[in-house]
Amino acid sequence: MDTVIDAHNISKVYNKDTIPVYAVNNVHLHLKRGEFTALVGPSGSGKTTLLNMIGGLDKPDEGSIYINGQDITKLSANKLIDFRLRNIGFVFQSFNLIPVLTAKENVEFIMQLQKIKKEDREARVKQLFLQIEMMEKLNERPSKLSGGQQQRVAVARALASKPQFILADEPTANLDTKSASNLLDIMARLNQDENITFLFSTHDQRVIDRARRVITLVDGRIVKDTAEVSTSHKDDYKSEN
Amino acid sequence: MAWRNIWRNKTRSIVIMLSIALGLFSGIAILSLYQGMMDSRVRTVIDAEVGHLQMHHPEFKNDYEPELTIKNGQQVLKSLISITGIKLAVPRSISTGMLSSASGSAGVQINGVIPVQEYLVSQLRKKIIDGKVFDQEKKNQIIIGKKLADKLKLKIGSRLVLTFTDSSREIVSGAFRVCAIYRSDNSPLDERNVYVTMKALNSMLNIGQSFHEIVLILVQDGNLDAFKEQLSRQFPDLKIETWQEVSPETNLLVKTTNQYSYIIMIIIMLALAFGIVNTMLMAILERTKEIGMMLALGTNRIKIFFLVLLETFILTFAGTPIGIFSAWGIISYFQKKGLDLSGMGNEMMNSFGFGSIIFPEFPADKILDVFLIVFLTALLSCLFPALKALRLQPVEALRR
Repeated sequence: MDTVIDAHNISKVYNKDTIPVYAVNNVHLHLKRGEFTALVGPSGSGKTTLLNMIGGLDKPDEGSIYINGQDITKLSANKLIDFRLRNIGFVFQSFNLIPVLTAKENVEFIMQLQKIKKEDREARVKQLFLQIEMMEKLNERPSKLSGGQQQRVAVARALASKPQFILADEPTANLDTKSASNLLDIMARLNQDENITFLFSTHDQRVIDRARRVITLVDGRIVKDTAEVSTSHKDDYKSEN
Repeated sequence: MAWRNIWRNKTRSIVIMLSIALGLFSGIAILSLYQGMMDSRVRTVIDAEVGHLQMHHPEFKNDYEPELTIKNGQQVLKSLISITGIKLAVPRSISTGMLSSASGSAGVQINGVIPVQEYLVSQLRKKIIDGKVFDQEKKNQIIIGKKLADKLKLKIGSRLVLTFTDSSREIVSGAFRVCAIYRSDNSPLDERNVYVTMKALNSMLNIGQSFHEIVLILVQDGNLDAFKEQLSRQFPDLKIETWQEVSPETNLLVKTTNQYSYIIMIIIMLALAFGIVNTMLMAILERTKEIGMMLALGTNRIKIFFLVLLETFILTFAGTPIGIFSAWGIISYFQKKGLDLSGMGNEMMNSFGFGSIIFPEFPADKILDVFLIVFLTALLSCLFPALKALRLQPVEALRR
């Protein structure tokens, strides 16, 4: 498997001039294509900060992050926007769909930014909505969809640009058990069938249970990292929380 | 997306659109009113005061010397009447002097007129509010303005004395009886101008059949300068002036009023701009997280800027047709019926040379300028919110 994410010695410090606080402290992280990884840790452990830096939304104060061999810490703000558009899919905790667009338009939005032809967009939208099992909700606005349905649309939107990997920040936090389970089924299937790489930040044991690799972050440092998660390891995290 | 974003908060958007419509309506109404007032003022100046063009001895207007008459005046008149484009050529004898009555005196300009012709050129007959026009059977009759009559407590039949210098620089006096009192839309002129027959004035001035002024009314208003050029070539010994030169204050008023009306329009739109800025800032503030998400997903900042720009333009221009069409409808009504401003005071309106009934005119020729002002308002209004949206950092925006 080839490396998709390769982060070297990355740190993020707040209050540099007064009392420095390391949100992420000297983290090394390598993710290969097709991994289904959960980034876990208590609140304030630096999960979201790390995810933001990997996603090019935030810059580390130290270290470098290579995505498919490209050091994104060296990219200008504008190039980074374009890089995100073409390489990274995002799924947010609170869905963040555009409320004035329909489910279909929300998914198409990314492809429009990528200047993909209408026919190709239509075909891709159809394929994605089949995958998230929401063909009947194509033309509904987000306000007419349940939380679980909105998050599935968000996953479809993240996949629309055919990214290198998908970053999902607490994707199940606002979902009930059934919706969360459905969403995880869909993401796991996409991972297995299409070899799409997922990196989640999560507190949710349901996600941790499904992940094939769990990275535990405490006070900005990786304290545990396993490629093949054993049941006992997952239970370790459960007992810690 | 911009269009749909506008309707996220329908009430707020409709309020701002109606504000723009109302602002535009007010601005256009002011433009129309000023346009109507200026047109009416210019019409009065041309039709009832100075005509399109005036001809004098080149030095006559320096000191109004009675001997500076138009040389070969009758021949000049004949030539003028034969020129295509001239509707009327009416002579006047003019002198400045003192009008005295039992209750006081005042400096006046004495206009010696041929009654039938004067009634056509200055609408004198229409302006008469008391008494009767000149009676050919009676000698030394005078028509005075209402303001002068009030000032000197003169009535129909009152006797007064005019004193002035004749062509030999001798002081002459003559007794006249008031036969009529007139009132025009220009009370300062009413106070200063009195009318006697040319025959009576010429005999006292001792200038025979001569006269000092020819008032020209043209068939059409346009191309005055070309006409003046043509006449100047034909009558090189005479000074020819357009109404703008004879009445420079009116000309200045027309020009400055145009500018003032634009300034008022800009002030109205500027005030509205603050409303639009406020609305757009609220819209940006409410959508901070969403804009952060769009930036995170890969929407470049120029697209975000243009989205805000487009929303502002839609918001601004949506109210524009409402404002313009409502203004057009209401102004068209008053253009036919007239807008009675006598409530503001006839005296006040007349003292500035305006009639109290104004016929506003929809400023069709200025609509492009209005659009430009609206466009600039929209542009100005969107800059601050758009820049605020541009400065958003996705990480910070997503945290909200």
